[in-house]
Amino acid sequence: MDYSQEPHGVFFLIDNKSFYASVEATLRGLNPLKEMLVVMSEADNTNGGLILATSPMAKKEFHLKANVSRQRDLPQDPRIIVVPPRMNLYIKRNLQINQIFREFAAECDVWPYSIDESIIDMTHSWHLFGNSPREVARIIQKTVCQRLGLYTTVGIGDNPVQAKIALDIYAKHDPELMGEIHYETVPEKIWTIPNMTDVWSIAKRTEKRLNSLGIHSIYELSQSNPFYLKEKLGLIGEQIFAIAWGIDRTNLEDNIAPKSHSIGNSQVLPRDYYNKMEIETVIKEMGQQVASRLRHHHKQAGCIYLSVRYSYAATVEGERGGFSVASNLTHTDSDSEISKQLLHMFEGSWQGQPVRNLAVYSSKLVNKQAQQLNFFKPVVSQCKSEDCLAIVDQIRDRYGFKSIVYANSLQKGGTAINRSSLVGGHNGGNAYE
Amino acid sequence: MAGMHMNSDFNLIIERIQIYFTRKSRTEYWLQVVNDKYDETYNFFINVQRKGERVHSIPLHTVEDYNLSYLEKLINKIMKKYQLSITYDGFVGLKWPEKQELIQKRKHLDE
Repeated sequence: MDYSQEPHGVFFLIDNKSFYASVEATLRGLNPLKEMLVVMSEADNTNGGLILATSPMAKKEFHLKANVSRQRDLPQDPRIIVVPPRMNLYIKRNLQINQIFREFAAECDVWPYSIDESIIDMTHSWHLFGNSPREVARIIQKTVCQRLGLYTTVGIGDNPVQAKIALDIYAKHDPELMGEIHYETVPEKIWTIPNMTDVWSIAKRTEKRLNSLGIHSIYELSQSNPFYLKEKLGLIGEQIFAIAWGIDRTNLEDNIAPKSHSIGNSQVLPRDYYNKMEIETVIKEMGQQVASRLRHHHKQAGCIYLSVRYSYAATVEGERGGFSVASNLTHTDSDSEISKQLLHMFEGSWQGQPVRNLAVYSSKLVNKQAQQLNFFKPVVSQCKSEDCLAIVDQIRDRYGFKSIVYANSLQKGGTAINRSSLVGGHNGGNAYE
Repeated sequence: MAGMHMNSDFNLIIERIQIYFTRKSRTEYWLQVVNDKYDETYNFFINVQRKGERVHSIPLHTVEDYNLSYLEKLINKIMKKYQLSITYDGFVGLKWPEKQELIQKRKHLDE
């Protein structure tokens, strides 16, 4: 294989070891690697408790999965410390960590990838800090540990995908918490990975499809015909073939413009909802939330989408577990119009099943230029209702969501007030800071 | 100004202790105060443990005034209201400015 034409750089992919759990440990003056600490959300809709993060020791001792285990899977052991999540704090820490990374690379070369992972293009700056990329990675690890007490794992590669695989497969089990893959080491480092699903971007579904093509390992994938893969799997076939060869032609600086935006929210209800009134209360709230977000972004939606999932117990085998409906509407960002449309869609498809999950999305967004008046309604009242929404938004911006709510949120079953302080679906922790 | 801080820190902590200190039977309650060197703050937690079960550690407040004599006064005030036992972390080698006693005798195993 001739790699000479491929982009060569020095990329670090740095992630935090058990990020949430480690942050909580450091705030308690504990060593993140020694402590058995579990971050558990005990909100009403978690059915007893949902484990968001586990410290490395607790993972080892109790064989917990990396994420999304249930409270019932966690033994009652007096050595375990259970703490509630504080999402705002983790966001703050993530910003601090990225700030440290910017001391080692130009601002435009640090790319946050998720709440605890960042890609750093060290091509231009690594030689300022040490004799080898590995040495520089060590310095970064030490700096983060000294300033924030957190342990980081580093994947090093000639391109982002090599760094990512080095991180996922090798760094996590390395005593120095580092892994390295280069073009020359692709055969020994990537082709030998026993489970295809361990590789980034290959999950169970893709594995199944590859199996049906007679491909059972990364090595077999790398030796197959890329044109055949593309024919059978589409674009993704070509992509994973490139990954198997450690090839990644991404230019991180390219600005990718998504074809279309959408704004939406989803939630798991705290219990099964049987009562039509209660379900409609939540749907209304979600409609209002989405509308408010649209206004915040100065957008109007031309299409609205409602997805309803039934409760697990009510899902009979072979029958559908819910329904999704979409509907076009005249471009709008009004609470009442979006809610009205959603309720209409709900009534058309719901047949009395108990409901547990709800999602509302808006798409076909356009920039809001002006208010479109309706010919059949008095102009003054239309302008007034528009102004009214603007005022509600202003009040909420200044005093928080809870300062002004629709009366329907106070009805039985409403969730908006309780959810208003959540960040990413979990306790933000604002109330405590 | 310091007095105002003191009151709001004190009130917040007491308010939150009230929520979690429910005096259930066979349950241990204690406060934890951590010297957070990374943020330069003192972090307050309440720990709740039913006998033989997991410890629940709930954040109460973060005191931004990073000053030991302030902390000493604040804790004295809290102790007048609640005689919960307090464990200290991250204070090895430091003394209370007023009492002149060591805050934390030795490093805990998991620090």
